Amino acid sequence: MVIRRPKKERNLKKEGNRKIAVKVSLKKYNLNTARYAAYAVSDAAYVFIAPSGKGAVAVEFTLKNGSQVTGHDKSHVTRHTSQAGNYMTAAGNLVRRFREELKDEKIRAAVFDANRDLREFMILKALSYDTAAPPAEQEDSGLTPEQEKELDALIAQVESEIKKESAGSGTKDPLGITRTWEEKYGAKTGRKRN
Amino acid sequence: MAQKPAAKGTNLSGAVLPQVLWKKTGGNYLLTNDSGHHAWLEEKNFAAVTAGRLPQTSPLFAELASKGFIRSRLDFNDLAAKWKKQNAYLYYGPGLHILVLTLRCNHKCLYCQSAAAGLGAKNTDMPLATARKSVDFAFNSPNPGITLEFQGGEPLLNWEALKGTVAYARKKAKTSGKELKLALVSNFSLLTAEKAAFLLANEVSICTSLDGPKDLHNRNRLFTGGNSHGETLKWLKYFQKKNAAPPPGCRVFKPSALLTVSKYSLSRHREIIDEYVKAGLEDIFIRPLAPIGYAKSLWGAIGYEAKDFSAFYLKSLDYILKLNRGGVVIREKTAAMMLDKIINFRYPGYLDARCPCGAAIGQLAYNYNGDIYTCDEGRMVGWAGDVLFKLGNVFRDAYKKVMSSGLTRVCAVSSNLEAQPACARCAYKPYCGVCPVYNYATQGSLWGNMPSNDRCGLFKGIFETLFAFLKNPGNTAILKKWVAK
Repeated sequence: MVIRRPKKERNLKKEGNRKIAVKVSLKKYNLNTARYAAYAVSDAAYVFIAPSGKGAVAVEFTLKNGSQVTGHDKSHVTRHTSQAGNYMTAAGNLVRRFREELKDEKIRAAVFDANRDLREFMILKALSYDTAAPPAEQEDSGLTPEQEKELDALIAQVESEIKKESAGSGTKDPLGITRTWEEKYGAKTGRKRN
Repeated sequence: MAQKPAAKGTNLSGAVLPQVLWKKTGGNYLLTNDSGHHAWLEEKNFAAVTAGRLPQTSPLFAELASKGFIRSRLDFNDLAAKWKKQNAYLYYGPGLHILVLTLRCNHKCLYCQSAAAGLGAKNTDMPLATARKSVDFAFNSPNPGITLEFQGGEPLLNWEALKGTVAYARKKAKTSGKELKLALVSNFSLLTAEKAAFLLANEVSICTSLDGPKDLHNRNRLFTGGNSHGETLKWLKYFQKKNAAPPPGCRVFKPSALLTVSKYSLSRHREIIDEYVKAGLEDIFIRPLAPIGYAKSLWGAIGYEAKDFSAFYLKSLDYILKLNRGGVVIREKTAAMMLDKIINFRYPGYLDARCPCGAAIGQLAYNYNGDIYTCDEGRMVGWAGDVLFKLGNVFRDAYKKVMSSGLTRVCAVSSNLEAQPACARCAYKPYCGVCPVYNYATQGSLWGNMPSNDRCGLFKGIFETLFAFLKNPGNTAILKKWVAK
């Protein structure tokens, strides 16, 4: 992947020496791992990722104005300071954080890749999970098998028409959020006073 | 809990973890998963777990297996049930409907996000016809439980509309078969015995602001007509007494109060909490300021950094737990709502911390003129001149149109934590939520940038505090009791 350096970025380099570049081997970490790890430290620095030779990228950080990174992540936050002496500490902390994030992100990516299908299955199962008790066995309807068949066909026809009608609206609403109360449940009367 | 048998020929956990999130805190790792389970691991155990080298005979293996952290031992039914319980809100439409009965207010609070209008601005009162139309709109929601919250300005300044709306909504609830809850957010300064009796008779729950001791409260909440602190305490006592001995046939709710933390509150956590205890309140809802709407323009004077609030919150929770150990009944509400998720796998109805957020699909705010907003924060941004979060108007737009609008969708998409690079990797994700309005107001985009987002910092601070407290067995019993109901 080739990332071109925008003009704005080229200009930034001229503004001062608040830049740190870290070379990341794409043999060890893939590009997305480097990007997500860089995003994780974007509280403290602007990030620019560019190709750096064969099989590597240079992740270039420009420290945000007056920021000093003091901890593992945002909860340990940024402190405002104008002291130039803190620059080295800030830069060191930033690189350390980035390298930790790289390691973490590599494991995360492996875990995510290995579980994509399993996770989709679990969320689908959860979305359709019925916590209610299973319905009692159906009583004899008193219909002949032919009548049952006819009734099933009729129900299928009505359902298909409803489906066609809702598909025509051009919107997907599997949970019925956009449907009104009456459309969903019908009008009720005679319930206890609220 | 039914578990699958281990894979043959190995006594190790297997090379692959199921989907998990983690965070390193000190020398330990906090692990969480989609179903909301959590576990603590020492660094060496984390390394063993991620490498699949944890012996199956270890007690840790059993603990992790029971919580869905061992891929070969997943109990799909249990995990699905917990996930569904935590995300129950996905199956309903908006339940909270905020009616802004007027923008007028007789207070001039330093941090007011609503940009209250002066007492003469009667053109910002909601006419009864608009209020009724708003109620009609709210009852369109497929949610079987509707909460109408009366807000302002000071809603008591538009008493006739409030009275008429309460009666109309009750009637509407009766014919629709829905459960209706009514809530009033008021500074109490205009309350009279007659009005209070009406609220009690109609089972309207009451919420007010109490910012701490008299000097602090009155400094934050300027009221030229008298002593805001005194009025607040007087009516809190009144409703507490009525709650203890309700009039025949009436259900009286305990009154509640909110603490908005200004920069003047930061050094006074003990006095504030003591004031709540003295006032007989059993809950304190510690809320940070948000630079949204009118408050944004005052941020330089009244605002603070996320780390300042986090430190305040930590000290406050520590003190509240100390009071609990001494037998005092008081709990912090944000903590209680988060703990309900962490401990009980339950959705506590906290619209600010869910995925997607409650904007439009969980709540709607109706301005005095019938304009519909995604939420009250969205309305505040609108009042400051940017109507990005305006969904429509009760007189012009149908429910279906509003719920299918691009704005509703973009709020849901941008607050989907799976689509937020930092959130999708955060150990607190199963319990947290982002706010597109906050992101837009502070960072200029609905998605924002979480690593530099102060709200994210605040929530992380709260979760860090809660998980740290939960690790201490001395605190666990108290915290569990808070959400035992």
